[in-house]
Amino acid sequence: MDRAARILKALGAGTSRLGVTELADRLNLAKTTVHGLLRTLERQELVEQDLDTGKYRLGPAMLQLGNAFLESHELRSRSLLWADALASRVGETVRVGVLHGRSVLIVHHVFRPDNSVQILEVGASIPWNACALGKATAAFLDADRRRTLLAGPLPVLTGRTMSDPHGLALSLDEVRRAGVAIEDQEAIVGEAEIAAPVFDHRSHVAGAIGVVGPVERLAPGGALEALVAAVKETARGLSRDMGAGRVAARGG
Amino acid sequence: MGGLTSGRGLRTARVAAFDAELVRRWIRETAAQLSAQRDYLTQLDAAIGDADHGINMDRGFAAAASALEASDEATPGALLVQTGTTLMFRVGGAAGPLYGTSFREAGGALEDVGTFGMGELIVALRSGLEGIQSLGAAVEGDKTIVDAWAPAVAAMERGARAKSSAREVLRSGRLAAEAGATATTPMQARKGRASYLGPRSVGHQDPGATSTALLFTALERAVEAS
Repeated sequence: MDRAARILKALGAGTSRLGVTELADRLNLAKTTVHGLLRTLERQELVEQDLDTGKYRLGPAMLQLGNAFLESHELRSRSLLWADALASRVGETVRVGVLHGRSVLIVHHVFRPDNSVQILEVGASIPWNACALGKATAAFLDADRRRTLLAGPLPVLTGRTMSDPHGLALSLDEVRRAGVAIEDQEAIVGEAEIAAPVFDHRSHVAGAIGVVGPVERLAPGGALEALVAAVKETARGLSRDMGAGRVAARGG
Repeated sequence: MGGLTSGRGLRTARVAAFDAELVRRWIRETAAQLSAQRDYLTQLDAAIGDADHGINMDRGFAAAASALEASDEATPGALLVQTGTTLMFRVGGAAGPLYGTSFREAGGALEDVGTFGMGELIVALRSGLEGIQSLGAAVEGDKTIVDAWAPAVAAMERGARAKSSAREVLRSGRLAAEAGATATTPMQARKGRASYLGPRSVGHQDPGATSTALLFTALERAVEAS
């Protein structure tokens, strides 16, 4: 099992097509072993062989597993309608994220409704301290988990990423008071994000929803009031949908 | 093409004399390079970004080149600052602020001189790199613009210290930028949107480093044409 999993991860990382010899070298396994495992994985459609090159790549069953993983997130399935509504209301990109270890995993992404080419960020992983989704979530975690996050590592993605634990702690206090997190070019130069926490039926923070886009549109000298209001309202509605109590849904 | 009227170019001058006209030619040539490579850059960006780098850079530098033709600014530094400002507003994405800052910093480094030499040019390019790095916090190996810009400036500095000719210095800068851009392919992105992809960013050449290499190509050609 372990060796099969390592083969799948190798095929999922970067160079998407690998031959038996390359895989055997990379994973330090015998070629016959790799060959046998690939045959089994191929029967289950978890990998497939390229007929031209003879190399292997991930198979269609992996997509089904990935989708099943996403669908298992209650926040994602409940957020679909809310995220669509928010995107068309404000005309910007909307993302929904959950904390996964020390990063925010994007579980849903609605493109900015302007027909431009955009890359789907579902499955992307962003350090919690560099994005508004992460800060909106972290601010409402219990003290222990919050301390663990603040203890680092706190990766720096731009010259404006906050990586000082003390400064971050103060900013999380502010997020908790305001019920919304603002990020100004802390993940990507030129981009800002406004996000609010979403709570579940136990009134625990389940993740966050927010809009992301060019800083000059979202936060020219401070986040636009109308956007902040739309994001908070959406997060409250989504929280109620998740079964959160009224107080939790208000963000505190 | 118009331009210098007398023999101030590199063919006759051992110590290169650059001026406002060189800046105009550089930006014009960059715009031409980006226009020709627009689809290629966009294709690179489609793999790990928003598939708009070629379009954005083409639009931004075309705007910068025509702004310079109409500009009243007389000094090379002021023209570079003006270019940076145009890029900040017209390129968009992360490339707008990053390239915009680099040109504004480079222009600032030239102060208000009317002509300048290779030494000042390299200092200006180094200032541009520092502007990019303070905004983006990227270092070499992060799979960004810096991976082409940093080795290009370093190669030019080495060439200047070795008293190479201006032509050789510019050529070494261009070659180092090109090699730097190519070297981003096996890297895993640690900055920018591509970093969200984690290991999936491996195996694709960085579009920003590629456009930076075009910038250094254009600089070499602009000087050769003088």
